[in-house]
Amino acid sequence: MSQDTHPYIGFEEYSEHVPPSIPLAVQQATSRFVGGRAARVAELPQWEQLRQIGSDIRQHTIENMDVYLTSLEEKVKEAGGYVHWAETAEDARRIVLQIAKENNIKNVVKSKSMATEEIELNHALEAAGIESLETDLGEYIIQLAGTGPSHIIVPAVHLKKEEIAALFSEKLDINAPTDPIELARIAREVLREKFLNAGMGISGGNFLIAETGTLVMVTNEGNGRMCTTMPDLHIAVVGIDKVIPDWESLIVFLKLLARSATGQKLSTYTQFITGPRHAEGEFGPKEFHLVLLDNGRSKILKDPIGRDVLKCIRCGACANVCPVYKNVGGFAYGSFISGPIGAILSPQMLGTQAARELPFASTLCGACADVCPVKIPIPAILSHLRRRVAQGDAFALPTISTPIRATANLASLALAQNWIYRLGALVLPIINPFFRKNNWLSGMPYPLNRWTKVRPLPPFGARFRKWWNVRSAKETESTHD
Amino acid sequence: MTNPIIENIRHSLGRTVQSPLGLRPDIYEPRLPESIDSEIARFLDEVKKLSGVGQKLSPADIDSTLKTLVAEQNIRKATVWGTPHLRQLGITKILNSLGVEIVSPNASKHEMALCDLGITEADYLLPETGTLVLKSSFEKPRAVSLLPRIHLAVVRPEMLRADMHQVFAEAKDSNYLVFITGPSRTADIELTVTLGVHGPKNLYVWMMKE
Repeated sequence: MSQDTHPYIGFEEYSEHVPPSIPLAVQQATSRFVGGRAARVAELPQWEQLRQIGSDIRQHTIENMDVYLTSLEEKVKEAGGYVHWAETAEDARRIVLQIAKENNIKNVVKSKSMATEEIELNHALEAAGIESLETDLGEYIIQLAGTGPSHIIVPAVHLKKEEIAALFSEKLDINAPTDPIELARIAREVLREKFLNAGMGISGGNFLIAETGTLVMVTNEGNGRMCTTMPDLHIAVVGIDKVIPDWESLIVFLKLLARSATGQKLSTYTQFITGPRHAEGEFGPKEFHLVLLDNGRSKILKDPIGRDVLKCIRCGACANVCPVYKNVGGFAYGSFISGPIGAILSPQMLGTQAARELPFASTLCGACADVCPVKIPIPAILSHLRRRVAQGDAFALPTISTPIRATANLASLALAQNWIYRLGALVLPIINPFFRKNNWLSGMPYPLNRWTKVRPLPPFGARFRKWWNVRSAKETESTHD
Repeated sequence: MTNPIIENIRHSLGRTVQSPLGLRPDIYEPRLPESIDSEIARFLDEVKKLSGVGQKLSPADIDSTLKTLVAEQNIRKATVWGTPHLRQLGITKILNSLGVEIVSPNASKHEMALCDLGITEADYLLPETGTLVLKSSFEKPRAVSLLPRIHLAVVRPEMLRADMHQVFAEAKDSNYLVFITGPSRTADIELTVTLGVHGPKNLYVWMMKE
């Protein structure tokens, strides 16, 4: 979706109607991941050093992205692969459809990829009459259900096994049991046929190594291997931010990624794909295509504060510890990436018009920054984007309503000018009797009712300086005793 | 031809075509290996932790061990990498004598998918994570470790490397590499760990040692 056309993301509206089963399921999953991560981190005494190196390398890569992407393209071509550049989501869809059409493809198998969720590739393929099947178990389930992912790592975390069994029974016309192991077996059988008969595999990628033009893919189920090994054609759609300098730096990210994501030392399968197969009998695709997706990323680079979001390696650890995410789930964030990282990515990628609520969908508690394997200062970027929404900056005009902005400006003036603040502290207690109920102020007039209809205010009357002087005097007394 | 995306990146970063590449931050020191016996022990221990079956095996015992595996797992069809070491061990002959049908590792994917057992070697082993590192070639097809429901890797101590630094230094120019760390798994339905989703359900690792 482009900057202007993305539908408005009503985080507040959604979060008022979260089905109660979602926070429960999400918290079960996230607490498991948080525990697993903590155990793996405790095993590595050099963890903090690794995070710092990871952060430094990502920073360095972002600052030199043109050089690394140029080298990447050259190396992929040397290895016999094709490189396509997609400035927009529309471009990326067009490129993939073009390749599919040229090769007369009817069936596509897909491994899990945030980039293809981002460009909504499945819709485009289906509209062109091509069956496009998600093959990660969680993604397969949500594709059957017709929804998007609610977590980066476990996309169907919000569904119970009974719901999944009902879904399988309906869509596959079978009598599916509610046992998760049986459900996985059914999916294995259905998808096995699809893998063997698909003409094209589509994947994302976790990293792109500029040194040799290598696509690195990390999966647990083996569907990623299937999609890139069985069909004769492999297209990888990958964001330009996934480039890293070399294999030495990859080691750092492989150590950080699985530990942060699922609490594994390494995921089950890590593939390193450099161009197409060399011999027919070795399996693997005859043709390898890499679609490098910009879709707003190069513009994000312009903002020295906001661009740190592009350091992300998509582990989901920030969501797992976020008190807001754990209570509203992934759908509230209204886009393909949820949680704290989504709250700083979507406003930059989709614009602060559509995503203006997201920077405020946080308590700024900082838990996300503490666990981020590449040390993205998420709370600082949230504050930065809140300012963008409220005041506007070089990148966007302010998007909050005029009364709220006026109130905020007044407050900021009063807090910055000592004399206004002191005058207010003297004058405002006059209004207390009009709105006071018990020990609170409520039912204030517009625009202040925006606050008081949610929660009451304490009565005006704080005299900090007075209180402080009295307290200091008392302390002096007591120390003299 | 100028590439608009690269142009946009340069514009955003305030760089030009001539801007030099900054210095990449240093990576920390590689790991030093321990004694070969403790490296083997560690590797097999990690394989077990991942729900794999890892054991040391003397070449003299390969007959009986294969026989047990074939009986226990009801193996009727198998496919084997065409590498010299596996030939030397006489794996396909033993399997034949046990009544197991051998499918060529270069057969069609549909035939390979019917195999119960796929036997490979590994090119490198990582003891810290219990990882098998496999390259790919005509003799070492990728599907053998992927399509059959059971994967057996017959490995040797000289395949052990201290860490990824060593593996990548030797293997980064390969057109394909895969790290296999345990059997295929998922926790996508109510976080219940399920083995054997799309890849093999069982992983056996036999460390050949006198």
